Amino acid sequence: MLKILGFLLVFVVAFGSAACATVRPEQRAVLADPTMRFEGEPGEKAATEHVLENRESSFGGGSVRGGGCGCN
Amino acid sequence: MQLTRTNHTLRRVLGLAAAVATSTFGGLAAAQVAEVDVRDTIFYEPSKTSKLFVMTPAATLGVQPVEWLDVHIGYEADIVTGATEPIKSGPLADVVTAATNFSDTRHQFRGGVGIIRRDAHLTVDYSYGTESDYRSQGLTVTAGSDFFQKNTQIELQYARGFDKVCTTNYQPATAPSGRTRLDSSDRCFTEALDRASRSVDLDTFQVAWTQAWTPVFATQMVLTGALQHGFLNNPYRSVVIAPAGQDALENHPENRARGALSLRGKYFIKPIMAAASAGMRFYRDTWDILGETAELEFEKYLTQSIRILARGRYYHQTEALFWSDDYTGGEPVSGPRGQYWSGDRELSPLSSWMLGGRALFALQGTPGARVLGFMLRFQGTAGFDLLKTNLQNFTWSGNPVDDTTAMILSLGIRAEF
Repeated sequence: MLKILGFLLVFVVAFGSAACATVRPEQRAVLADPTMRFEGEPGEKAATEHVLENRESSFGGGSVRGGGCGCN
Repeated sequence: MQLTRTNHTLRRVLGLAAAVATSTFGGLAAAQVAEVDVRDTIFYEPSKTSKLFVMTPAATLGVQPVEWLDVHIGYEADIVTGATEPIKSGPLADVVTAATNFSDTRHQFRGGVGIIRRDAHLTVDYSYGTESDYRSQGLTVTAGSDFFQKNTQIELQYARGFDKVCTTNYQPATAPSGRTRLDSSDRCFTEALDRASRSVDLDTFQVAWTQAWTPVFATQMVLTGALQHGFLNNPYRSVVIAPAGQDALENHPENRARGALSLRGKYFIKPIMAAASAGMRFYRDTWDILGETAELEFEKYLTQSIRILARGRYYHQTEALFWSDDYTGGEPVSGPRGQYWSGDRELSPLSSWMLGGRALFALQGTPGARVLGFMLRFQGTAGFDLLKTNLQNFTWSGNPVDDTTAMILSLGIRAEF
């Protein structure tokens, strides 16, 4: 329970401090650059995630997609 | 002479293609955009036994008929060939099985609609996948909004999967140790008496928070929760569960809850025109698997049109509570290893390294000066990754497996009109 409360506290403080971030619209040129996109190249990222999901147990933390077998 | 005639013909064909494309997409030019993405990914394990080869061609078409509406459709296939051992045994059982060849193709169709209004967006996607032994349907709803002068983005996503898997037609009352594996996908999804279709229900929730902290630094946190319910085994695999060699269909729990938290940061280094990023992911599920992933990426502009990316990834996971390389030790039937058995190496303790990179070439046009006369943007990518897996406790009858090195090659073309 304490762990959850601690996590929530960190989240609230971090999210609250986000309101203080002052990147003005005219300063956003670099942030809009394709190299700064977290999703990277979407098709490529999805293909790599598909391969890794069939090779290891971990899942999530990236994009959410529908099911598939990967039985073989 | 022949060469000149060929060049004339080539010019005519290119000119005709440009004219057709301009007339087709020219109407979209004012405020509308069409985007085509075609790619192919090849996965290859050059081992002596499995020789797994997967080709995944994919194509997506997206259209924005008006500024606030996005409509997209896509197709993807998984063309798989290789070999696998159908019966998993450990070092104690006197069982030796040979790998059997298999091949299958999965087709997946998807489509969706997105609405964008000021700082908010809402997208609904549907997908349908079919292969000889598996069918899937998925519905995904994504909603997001920008806050604090667009420095903060929050996105929520829910996905629901309704899948069906083909198995042998054992009755619910049949003891797990008496259930048999599927020997082929013949007669699957028919009225055949020896086949059955079993459900797999998938619910996935995700929340993502992306934050710009400075003009060159941003972070992202993604929290994912997933619930799986139904037939979660491989219908083709059986596991040796007695010293004499008796095997039974793999038997996993019917429920699995999964959670992952990832944190990433990106920093743009202006003097060298490059972006560096680092990320961590922590994973845990109710099968007691703990996973950690560390990722590094570095992407640099060589010229305005060419970028190269280098990436590295390390992954480690613990074993599932009921995992064993050998189930012939007479485990108590009420214990996790007596009640369940698995031949899935993804549930064994393992670690892996992935190293690779990608080159990207892009040409940006404008409505008045299009690339080749008809494209607003053209982009080509080529990527290569090497994946090396270290299986700490997985053998075939006590022998180490050799299919632990894989190569991933990807090629892609994207064009905007």
